[in-house]
Amino acid sequence: MKKSIILFLIFIMVLSISIFAFTEKAGAEFPKAKAIRLIIPFGAGGGSDIASRVLASVAPEFVDQRIDVICMPGAGGQEAINFVMQQPADGYTLLMTDYGPFIMTALTEEVNYEFADWTPVFQIAEAVPTFFVHADSPLKSVEDWVKAAKAAPGSLTIAPGRYLSTPHLPLILFENLAGIEQKHVITTGGSEARAFVLGKKVDLGASFPSTLGPLIKSGDFRALGVCSEERVAALPDVPTMKELGYDVVLPAWMVLFAYKGVPEENIKFLGEKFTEALNTVSAKALASKANVVLTPNTGEQLEHLYNQTIKNLKDILASVEK
Amino acid sequence: MDILLVAIDNAFSTDVILYTALGIFLGVTIGAIPGLSGDIGIALLLPFVYKIAPACSLGMMIGIYKGSMFGGSITAISFGIPGTAAAAATVEDGYKAKLNGHPQQALLTALYSSVTGDIFSDIVLIFLAVPMARIALNFGPVEFFALYIFALMLITLLTRGKAVKGLASGVIGLIIGACGMDPMLGTPRLNFGIKQLRGGVSLIPLLVGIFAISELIMQFSKDWYNVVIKKAEEINQQGTFSKYNANEDKMSLKIFFSTLKATMIGAVTGTSIGALPGAGSSLAAYVSYGLARRFSKHPEKFGHGSLEGVAAPEAGNNATCGATFIPLFAFGIPGSGIAAIFGAALIMLGITPGPTMLSENTLIIFTLFVTLIYANFINLGISRILLPLYARVSMLKTRYLVPAVFAIALLGTYASRNSVIDIWVLLIAGILGAVLRKNGFPLGPLVLGYIIGPGMERALRQALIIGGEDRFFLFKSSIAIGLYVATIIFLVLVNIIFRKKTDKNL
Repeated sequence: MKKSIILFLIFIMVLSISIFAFTEKAGAEFPKAKAIRLIIPFGAGGGSDIASRVLASVAPEFVDQRIDVICMPGAGGQEAINFVMQQPADGYTLLMTDYGPFIMTALTEEVNYEFADWTPVFQIAEAVPTFFVHADSPLKSVEDWVKAAKAAPGSLTIAPGRYLSTPHLPLILFENLAGIEQKHVITTGGSEARAFVLGKKVDLGASFPSTLGPLIKSGDFRALGVCSEERVAALPDVPTMKELGYDVVLPAWMVLFAYKGVPEENIKFLGEKFTEALNTVSAKALASKANVVLTPNTGEQLEHLYNQTIKNLKDILASVEK
Repeated sequence: MDILLVAIDNAFSTDVILYTALGIFLGVTIGAIPGLSGDIGIALLLPFVYKIAPACSLGMMIGIYKGSMFGGSITAISFGIPGTAAAAATVEDGYKAKLNGHPQQALLTALYSSVTGDIFSDIVLIFLAVPMARIALNFGPVEFFALYIFALMLITLLTRGKAVKGLASGVIGLIIGACGMDPMLGTPRLNFGIKQLRGGVSLIPLLVGIFAISELIMQFSKDWYNVVIKKAEEINQQGTFSKYNANEDKMSLKIFFSTLKATMIGAVTGTSIGALPGAGSSLAAYVSYGLARRFSKHPEKFGHGSLEGVAAPEAGNNATCGATFIPLFAFGIPGSGIAAIFGAALIMLGITPGPTMLSENTLIIFTLFVTLIYANFINLGISRILLPLYARVSMLKTRYLVPAVFAIALLGTYASRNSVIDIWVLLIAGILGAVLRKNGFPLGPLVLGYIIGPGMERALRQALIIGGEDRFFLFKSSIAIGLYVATIIFLVLVNIIFRKKTDKNL
């Protein structure tokens, strides 16, 4: 009888200790209660993953809290989005995404959120879609491309990654502006697209400077144009589509989002601290090692970018549906 | 040359060896748990990549990768449940070998052929990465489609004379693989309105359910008990602890050499398929199994516990370990999920995978190469020591073992994606598996159909887009024609030969 009482007391003790150990510190100032989590709707190893990890390794000392990066690629990214929606609205769980699964999916099918439900907290980085060809290709410039496409409409093939992905959309925009058409060979992603161009199975491709860089340097690929306002630092000799007369500016941003209900002060706090963190020398060094183009952005400017992107994407989609 | 010596020195430093050994041990354990596989372990390690020295973190990730590729075969052989998708082909003969009272031979064969296949592909990676990658580049949608057709044909090799049931099973697998979303456009299809199935039926719960849960159901159903009572005389099939004779289960050099041909077939096949971006380790394992059977002196033994049938798929899947890095190292193009994760780790270390990687980062890459090779020997050592233990454990009474494995399988499946829909898939797949087994439908073709279905569909559609109005575009490639011809030859020859042998046995 005595033995079982002692055992029971020990059990209660262990239980309470574990409850204390694993519960958040109630009433603690943000963000002291628990770790900050960045949820990514893609698999490990991708561009958003790497960009998040750059932030996660420099920011903790600025926010005085651990930052964990968690990848949840299930259900085409919707699992990650739903997960963040179900968390308490305290600012500890943020969605880190580009506009693919987040905006495009919402525009093309039914999802259980509205764009206004989400507030952009901080932009970590940006990747600029780049059109490229195999170095042996007869197409030496965008001009050649447009000429060849107009001469024989639908004869050229291009691999822009996944359907309606961040490299695919600027392609559609470009085709509308230039009045050309070609066959889009949808692939499982950037890797397959690059492999097809390298193997000369398709004529053109669209991908990002971070992954194209080594192959451009080695002379296997030639970049024709980039879809940003200004030339990309990693590819200084490649003209922007805008310079060439086509207003195709659609960089893929990587932004942290908070779901509705998160207190504004928390959002502002994170925005400020993260901006500070990414402006340090160590952050810039880490980012350049990892081929990440840091573009810290927050507040009203970021909100504007968010809304502008939604509008651009709606327009592009409307043209696809025609 | 000096750099090579420094690299060898670095690679053999105590902490690198320790981290690699730790990785191997973790990898084998993770691989053995049905539901978990190496990529989870490696993805968990990513945050630590810049905190520990580069050679150590790379060594640990390599250890986990190789260890888990072998670890999957432990449960595949011991319980008929593949611990990882890559070990699905090992179940065919591995489990039968265990039921025949030879778990140790099967496990050791799996280990030796895994290590052999792995060393082979590591050597190919180190010396032949660029030429192999250039060959792999010749595989576009047309060639991939032909390869998948060839693999589908191999399904009939897995049916042991029950061709119709095998094909039916394969088609069920294709249908399950088609659920979720269109592989090109991402539009939802065949998801029965269930939002969580938007990503499709997940591999892990399907695999674990079809093999593990169905086994549990079968073991505990009344019919099974009747069958057991009927077969009371043939207790060897059940292998209760006391009836296992360890002396009859000893591994020997003779056995190793008898399976060497199958191992080499697996090594070459696994390396070739592993070098193709997009083709996976389970595909490599099944194709190795099929080819080994075709070229074996005793094809009729396959499916009944043939050790060659264990050696080939295990060599095949481990041979993808080195080969999967070929496109990554040669062009910076990751050919598999694991290669992508390694690519990310390399990038975070400031190394950009691609053609200039070797010349710009010679020391660390040489160190990596040396680590790749010796990791295989560490794997051999650690697993060799632990195996007899696993062999004994596997021979415990199934009525105690299977529920325990079921619990682990359930936890492992949930742990891999934190998704409740996975548990439902697990249970329904289990019921499906039990129904199929009761009616004599082989499970191998279902798994293969599920695995290659989406890839095959995508390759076909990509090829049709590129080909446009050219009706014969699918045949405008010598590689594709070669594969189609091989398919027809194998189909005809194997069915004739196999039928002859079974006729002889009658």
